[in-house]
Amino acid sequence: MKDSIITAQRKRTELITLLVCFLIANVVNLCAIIAYGTRLVELVTQIGYVALFSIALYLCWSVLRLIYYGIRKVVK
Amino acid sequence: MGAAGGTLLLASPWLSAFADAEHTRRSKARIGVVGPGSRGRFHMSFLKNNPKADVVAVCDVYRPSIDEALKIYPKARVYTDYRKLLEDKEVDAVLIATPLNVHFPVAMAAFEAGKHVFCEKTLGITIEECYKMYRKHIDTGLVFFSGQQRLFDPRYIKVMELIYAGTFGDIEGIRAYWFRNGDWRRPVPSPELERLINWRLYKEYSKGLMTELACHQIQVGSWALRQIPDKVMGHGAITHWKDGREVDDNVSCIYVFDNGVKLTYESIISNKFYGLEEQILGHLGTVEPEKGKYYFETIEPAPGFLQMVNDIEHKLFDAIPFAGTSWAPETANENHGEFILGKRPEGDGTSQMLDAFVEAVITGKQPPKIAEEGYYASALCLLGYDAIEQERILTFPDEYKLNYLNHHNPATL
Repeated sequence: MKDSIITAQRKRTELITLLVCFLIANVVNLCAIIAYGTRLVELVTQIGYVALFSIALYLCWSVLRLIYYGIRKVVK
Repeated sequence: MGAAGGTLLLASPWLSAFADAEHTRRSKARIGVVGPGSRGRFHMSFLKNNPKADVVAVCDVYRPSIDEALKIYPKARVYTDYRKLLEDKEVDAVLIATPLNVHFPVAMAAFEAGKHVFCEKTLGITIEECYKMYRKHIDTGLVFFSGQQRLFDPRYIKVMELIYAGTFGDIEGIRAYWFRNGDWRRPVPSPELERLINWRLYKEYSKGLMTELACHQIQVGSWALRQIPDKVMGHGAITHWKDGREVDDNVSCIYVFDNGVKLTYESIISNKFYGLEEQILGHLGTVEPEKGKYYFETIEPAPGFLQMVNDIEHKLFDAIPFAGTSWAPETANENHGEFILGKRPEGDGTSQMLDAFVEAVITGKQPPKIAEEGYYASALCLLGYDAIEQERILTFPDEYKLNYLNHHNPATL
């Protein structure tokens, strides 16, 4: 088994991706608060669910990327 | 006394029995127990914990009950005739826990003998007996309690404070029930003792579920509504325990108050799924004092994020209704409510009730309204029993009304 190397560029890309997912999750939470007329404090109190949703988004995005790169590799 | 104390006494004025508790520290109430069976001994076990109480005499015709009672109070004098116990000058008060049909003669003789009286519910086997007992108490000025322990239960006292303060809005109905699954029989060592031991099953001695169980719960209704119901209808039958008993094992009654609010009562002893409860239904909330909980009609909605996830899930996975409009059954919403006293219920008020009786015996002061609440609890359950027996709608007889709450009786002014 050979060593894997994660480049600084890759780390930066993944962190930015995760941050974007977190921002999207917060926007979804804000939309839900407005749509269901609940309290703005849920932006803070529901942070746990928002974090879980962020991870779910990130995983979905990762799966999509893996499929994309997989297909590209096969085509090449 | 502060505002909190004032509110407390408004809901439960009989708690003033404890007003002189500090001054009575060195006094003792000498009590004679007539009928130290299981219930009588239950009371004795609480009295044993009160340093101001002493059970000096016990009376029973059933020797095993006496033997058990003497294990709690070994020095108590033993009688087999209650009249002899009532002649005992060292007895200040009697606690009557006999079969129902014996309450009346013992209580009346006790008042005649100048003894204060604690009588287990139901007071008498007819409304007339209850009324005569109440009148005797008024005429003699002696202390008179009945075994309505919920009147002293902190849960119920708090519930009534909240109801009177309008926390649950207008009380629109009360659903009371007591479900058990058992034949209500006790082991009988020899056949000739059947009626003596299983007296609850025979009409000569008891009125069954209405006098043994309903009596407690119907009182909660009039306490909450501060009204005496005007009329009652009902039905009863022996549907399961067809074992030679005479009293119904399945009863249901509807008590109707002046304003149309109803108290429904149901008791079945062949299914215990729902247990016992008095559900007090206000337009803003519901109380279940037996569970020690209250529930508001409107509950805070779930967080928006979770509602959204829930809605998406339903849209994706719920079955699509066919053949017209969608329909969902109106099953109750899940609402876990809050504990009335902030914690799970402990005790049922029996200890406090007996402590109050001991205080009243020592001071000789009858706490306000306790006799009236006891009287109406008994009279109402007996009226329900009569409605069941006669299969008629019965109104409360004018001649047995007291000047209490919405009832007026010019003859007793």
